[in-house]
Amino acid sequence: MNAPASFGKSQVRVEDQRFLKGQGRYIDDVNLPGQGYGAFVRSPHAHARVLSIDTSAAATMPGVLLIVTGAEWATQKFGPLPCRSPSKVNRDGTPFKDPARQCLVHDVARYVGEPVALVVAATAAAARSAADAVLVDYETLASVTDRGRAMAAGSAQLWPEAPQNLCLDFEQGKRADVESAMASAKHVIRLDLENNRLTAVPMEPRGAIADFDRATGQYTLWNSSQNIHANRDLMAAMLRIPKDKLHHLAPDIGGGFGGKNSVYAEPIVLLYAAGKLAHPVKWVADRTEAFLTDTHGRDQHSNVALALDDTGKFLALHVHSIGNVGAACGTMGPFTPTGGSARTQGGPYAIPAILYSAQAVFTNTVQTDPYRGAGRPEAVFHIERVIEFAARKLGIDPVELRRRNLIQPEQMPYTSGIGLAIDCGNFPAVMDRVIAMSDRPGYAARVTASAAKGLRRGFAVTPYLECSGGAPQEEAQLKFTSDGIVLLAVGTHSTGMGHETALAQIVGDRLGIDLHRIHFRQGDTAATKIGGGHGGSRGIELGGCAALKAADMVIDKARTIAAHALNSRADDIAFGKGKLTDSKTGQSMTIDGVIAAAGDQSRLPAGMSVGALDSTAVFDREMFTVPNGAHACEVEVDPETGVIRVVDFWAVDDFGSVINPMLADGQVMGGIVQGLGQALLEEVVYDSDSGQALTTSLLEYALPRADHVPRMKIEFYEGAPTKRNPLGAKGAGEAGCCGASPVIVNAVLDALNDYGVTHIDMPLTSEKVWRAISAGGKA
Amino acid sequence: MNEFKFMRAATLADAAAAFEKADDARYLAGGQTLLPVMKQGLAVPSDVISLARIGELAGIAVSKERIDIGAMTRHADVAAHKEIRALLPALSVLAGGIGDPHVRNRGTIGGSLANNDPAADYPAAVLGLGATIVTDERTIAAEHYFQGLFATALEPGELITRVEFPVPRRAGYVKFPHPASRYALVGVMVSDGPHGIRVAVTGAGAGVFRVPAMEQALAKSFTPEAIADIPIADADLTSDRHGSAAYRAHLVGVLARRAVTLAASPAMHGHRS
Repeated sequence: MNAPASFGKSQVRVEDQRFLKGQGRYIDDVNLPGQGYGAFVRSPHAHARVLSIDTSAAATMPGVLLIVTGAEWATQKFGPLPCRSPSKVNRDGTPFKDPARQCLVHDVARYVGEPVALVVAATAAAARSAADAVLVDYETLASVTDRGRAMAAGSAQLWPEAPQNLCLDFEQGKRADVESAMASAKHVIRLDLENNRLTAVPMEPRGAIADFDRATGQYTLWNSSQNIHANRDLMAAMLRIPKDKLHHLAPDIGGGFGGKNSVYAEPIVLLYAAGKLAHPVKWVADRTEAFLTDTHGRDQHSNVALALDDTGKFLALHVHSIGNVGAACGTMGPFTPTGGSARTQGGPYAIPAILYSAQAVFTNTVQTDPYRGAGRPEAVFHIERVIEFAARKLGIDPVELRRRNLIQPEQMPYTSGIGLAIDCGNFPAVMDRVIAMSDRPGYAARVTASAAKGLRRGFAVTPYLECSGGAPQEEAQLKFTSDGIVLLAVGTHSTGMGHETALAQIVGDRLGIDLHRIHFRQGDTAATKIGGGHGGSRGIELGGCAALKAADMVIDKARTIAAHALNSRADDIAFGKGKLTDSKTGQSMTIDGVIAAAGDQSRLPAGMSVGALDSTAVFDREMFTVPNGAHACEVEVDPETGVIRVVDFWAVDDFGSVINPMLADGQVMGGIVQGLGQALLEEVVYDSDSGQALTTSLLEYALPRADHVPRMKIEFYEGAPTKRNPLGAKGAGEAGCCGASPVIVNAVLDALNDYGVTHIDMPLTSEKVWRAISAGGKA
Repeated sequence: MNEFKFMRAATLADAAAAFEKADDARYLAGGQTLLPVMKQGLAVPSDVISLARIGELAGIAVSKERIDIGAMTRHADVAAHKEIRALLPALSVLAGGIGDPHVRNRGTIGGSLANNDPAADYPAAVLGLGATIVTDERTIAAEHYFQGLFATALEPGELITRVEFPVPRRAGYVKFPHPASRYALVGVMVSDGPHGIRVAVTGAGAGVFRVPAMEQALAKSFTPEAIADIPIADADLTSDRHGSAAYRAHLVGVLARRAVTLAASPAMHGHRS
């Protein structure tokens, strides 16, 4: 059965049936016979010395099997939780500070929720009750949670080896050029910007089940993680066990957004407990634990300065940020506010000189780590807010100011002022198209209609530019079964994005096989040798290209098998639409015929054996891609209450070639809602005096809901496919939240222009808007 | 969540006996507050007594003058009730705006009133419409029932059986939902009924309260303009991350005016701001 080409067409997800009928298998659905349940004792203090732990009462409670304390952990001398930050050198050439963080606290707890001990019991409730009965005697210490105060004299110090709580003092770009341009420019526009601290709140909280087989010395870890292979390597090293003695696998993952990327303490402690007990131990975080201990994102404050000449041409950009790393380095440590935020500074604009400097600081908060975009949304926010601010200040139309400075298509390839190698794109065309979509002629009437309801309407358009990332290598395997099924295994990781469908489309299209016959496997160290997991919008770019390469290997071998069957030469066999044809005789064979032949030794040429079609490919990315686009929106603001409603949202995204527009739509929509959340609602808050976490439930942390979601119209610009990979695809996963936050904030400020309001920090809560209007003093 | 004993009471007497016998019992009337605080370890009752199967607490009875709602009636059932919608749409709208669909399908009027969360919607309806709380022991007028932050006139173990709402001539409820919890950051019920003009505010302070100055002004002229210049003192109002006392005071004025407009309009008698 040959399939119609599905590449480039919308295709309902094959995994939908499973997910929508409640047949997904998430971490809490995984149960092993005889499993015990873990509950963690966590620090209630932001900063405290552990004086003693008394487990005697807990140990005698019913059902308690094991208690592991930080003191016991220390005696094992396991390695600290690792930091793999690509940015690790201070501007003076010295190395960054990476203090040793242990899985269980032995001496000093440095954030509320840091694990201090694990209790394992026969039931989850018994484990929780016993964990509550563990008595920890703390000496509380002064704390600092605010990145702005972390470096101040007299602030609490987290680590003796990191004076002023400084983790990394980073700089990239052309300091001398920027300084001289700033000194002589006609205009220098300065704006201070806040990138609010966020948490991913995946629908499924983290969790894991660890098991240990005493006979073989084999550990198994089921883990709600989006980064199975790399974390297996790091965890095995910490526990001093050979890699192949740790089988790491993930069931279905209910959302990640970066929050399930890192190496976390809990699964490692579970492995240790399972090893001690020689039976499985399960732990699944509740929502409060998730708020306290999932890595957080963003949390940067930036001073942005843009130099312009008298025609509005951009001359130089300097952004200086202070980024909050948390209590110690997470798996990516200080990367996000430093190197991660540097890469795309300046966006799609021709700015000759750019400087990005940043200080990453420790505070008494949980670690920050990549959160959808990991620095690129921050960079988009810097440039797009300062342009909007400059346009108002200089009296230039904001669209016109952007148009004057966009990199032109004839300038491609273009190396940006910060050093980003942009290979392709048509930024003016993309911006013009989103403006055309957004019905500018009807705007005046909509403003009037809003005014009749007592509302102020605003509009903004902001281009964005980002870059893909994540691990640069990926593996895909294709295996053919006797019943016509093609098993596709990859090391990338879908946490709900639809790889099961998109990757099957790529393979099915190449081989001419219906995608429903392609069975997908991921997130298992036994399925592929290597795997980069998910991060940096790499699913299609890496996993898709590896799958394509494996399919091409299959086709090469299929031609040899077909030549043998047709009594021809492999060089004469042409492949297309699932059919292998001898170009000389016209005789042909279907791919299914070849698959059947490959399962029968008697039909294979010499040198090939049963299973010969099975192929494993490794794809290496030479250079990451540069997705870009332009977003526009209209908002209504109620000046009496400060309530904002995003009414309409238009997006044009350049993801190069689009495999499945429906899935790409979903990525953009989800990203826009996430960006809306940052712009208007979300903020992780710690009490600055006590260091207590204040946003520990959905009663306090405001996520966007269905009624916040605007009408959306999303189109793709496919006029500039990249040549950096054989699919021509640019990463799509993080674009939505790159564009949405700045365009929504800019549109709100457009609506408030008459009130003299020029800036409000995210999130734009209704009270902040109301206060800004009241303080603006104009109407 | 910690371990606890669970029982389902079949009658009011059963429930009271079980409550009496336990060390630290809590009634479960829907669980939309109790279960989350138990999960967080903020409440650790020894016994949880479900009221779901007690027939004496069920049912809605509507007459032209009065609407009686059994304590175990879920918010979704109040919101969907056709006769309530016809006679007292402000109450339907209020019930239909509580929390989210999950909360409305589990949470009950009796549970909400017994808990008396300072940001709950129902207290504004009870005080703002002059309702009467009926318990297994007595009847309590709205103005005596609410006693501040999570405090009510209920004795330990006393159970609300139903709530009696007089039907007003006109009423409107406007709520400004808390951005995360969808409780009322501020909610204002305005009514013109057998108990005169009432303006009751929830969410803004430690408990639901009335605004006499607005009531007097509306008695003279039931228009938003009549209360436009009445200042709301913010000294006793709640101040938190989602709304300062000054902002809440400002919203009381805005929402009260919008509630008057709604009450005066025949079609819509309530909405979210």
